[in-house]
Amino acid sequence: MEYLVARPEELDPVAEALLSWAGERRKFFLYGEIGAGKTTFIQAVCRRLGVREKVTSPTFGLVNEYTYPDQQGREQRAYHLDLYRLTRLEEALDIGIEDYLDDAAYCFVEWPDLIEALAPPEVVRIKLSITGNSSRKILFL
Amino acid sequence: MNNASDIYLLGIESSCDDTAAAVVHNGAVLSNVVASQEVHRRYGGVVPEVASRAHQLHLIPVVDAALKEAGITSADLSGVAFTRGPGLIGSLIVGVSFAKALALSHQLPLVEVNHMQAHVLAHFAEPPYPAFPFLCLTVSGGHTQIVLVRSQLDMEVLGETLDDAAGEAFDKTGKMLGLDYPAGPLIDRLASQGEARFPFPKPQVEGLNFSFSGLKTSILYFLRDQVQADPDFIQDNLHDICASVQARIVSILLDKLRQAVEQTGIREVAVAGGVSANSGLRRALNALGAEEGWNIYLPKMEYCTDNAAMIAVTGYYKFLAGQFAGQDATPVARWEI
Repeated sequence: MEYLVARPEELDPVAEALLSWAGERRKFFLYGEIGAGKTTFIQAVCRRLGVREKVTSPTFGLVNEYTYPDQQGREQRAYHLDLYRLTRLEEALDIGIEDYLDDAAYCFVEWPDLIEALAPPEVVRIKLSITGNSSRKILFL
Repeated sequence: MNNASDIYLLGIESSCDDTAAAVVHNGAVLSNVVASQEVHRRYGGVVPEVASRAHQLHLIPVVDAALKEAGITSADLSGVAFTRGPGLIGSLIVGVSFAKALALSHQLPLVEVNHMQAHVLAHFAEPPYPAFPFLCLTVSGGHTQIVLVRSQLDMEVLGETLDDAAGEAFDKTGKMLGLDYPAGPLIDRLASQGEARFPFPKPQVEGLNFSFSGLKTSILYFLRDQVQADPDFIQDNLHDICASVQARIVSILLDKLRQAVEQTGIREVAVAGGVSANSGLRRALNALGAEEGWNIYLPKMEYCTDNAAMIAVTGYYKFLAGQFAGQDATPVARWEI
């Protein structure tokens, strides 16, 4: 699946398309250079999920946790990880990366290259690239 | 035994990268130890980065050093304060578990502390103390907040970042310029020899919230276009690029701070968090404060970056207010002030 968006405001339908395309799959790896819009796209997806908290960059804190109500109104968790600061697989294991990937919750991982070996088989890969000063190409794999 | 007015509190911090312990006596800091190669060398071994396992390795040596430096033993303690959140669960668990075990074995009261509240109360580690109510701008790698502080235990977030933190804007700019992570201090140094002649756009964010994501992207486009025209652009203009980026980040912070002052009428202005070390921010803040008639408070650097003195100080005020935690306390990844 490939989408071209001209500006950030157009991300909402793409977020919706991603969630319905992914179905039961809840682990997402996001690829793209600095400024490609990984966090911005995750903000749109979390908005679609109904996340209540502010979705901000986890680069420093490594993991953000959010909550949203499911269709029955029960509180569910979503994890937003960012491995940008890490340099070794061991560091990812030390922050409990396997626990986040094993959990049934939605899990969005920015800069996942370090943990390719741990990618669950059902992982959804999202590639973002810059096509112009506000336009982006978004690819689901 | 100490008498009731003689309160010794141990503070423990393990919310992110740093393992730290500190002791305060009636709110005054006796020791403030952050795990470092030096502390760890005495116990042998290396210091891994960013790891809950690292916290496990560091915690006992760091607590031991904090007690020794304070000239007391664990038997002298009146209570144990610990960071409950916000932070990384795997890291917080280490500090929380240790605090609970220590409190249980010595039959001490426990005090749970909010890390972001503690950054603000770092201003009470040493005089001069800001007068209530005051505004605190907390800026670090992970946070950017303006907090209205009515008293030690009554504060309200007036605005915060909607995407990246100010410290992250420095670090990611550094990455685009080919500098090592974390790049904040280096950009500060390079900027001091440059001229802020490249205009970067100011984000349009309503109210007292911040956004740094758009700035990051505009820096990216700017560098891409310039490098296309001149492959040596970055190295030939490094100082001026750093000065321009830093000036913009500082102006974003100070514009919102000025807006908060106008909105609240409060002229006591404090800054906390690791980015408050930035010399450009300090200079501009002091100049603005002098011009506007604000009282500016900048704590010592050791109380700005993540530390346990601020946890112990916050713990002291909660201790006085009788706000204790039980043995069922659990760490929390998210915790609003």
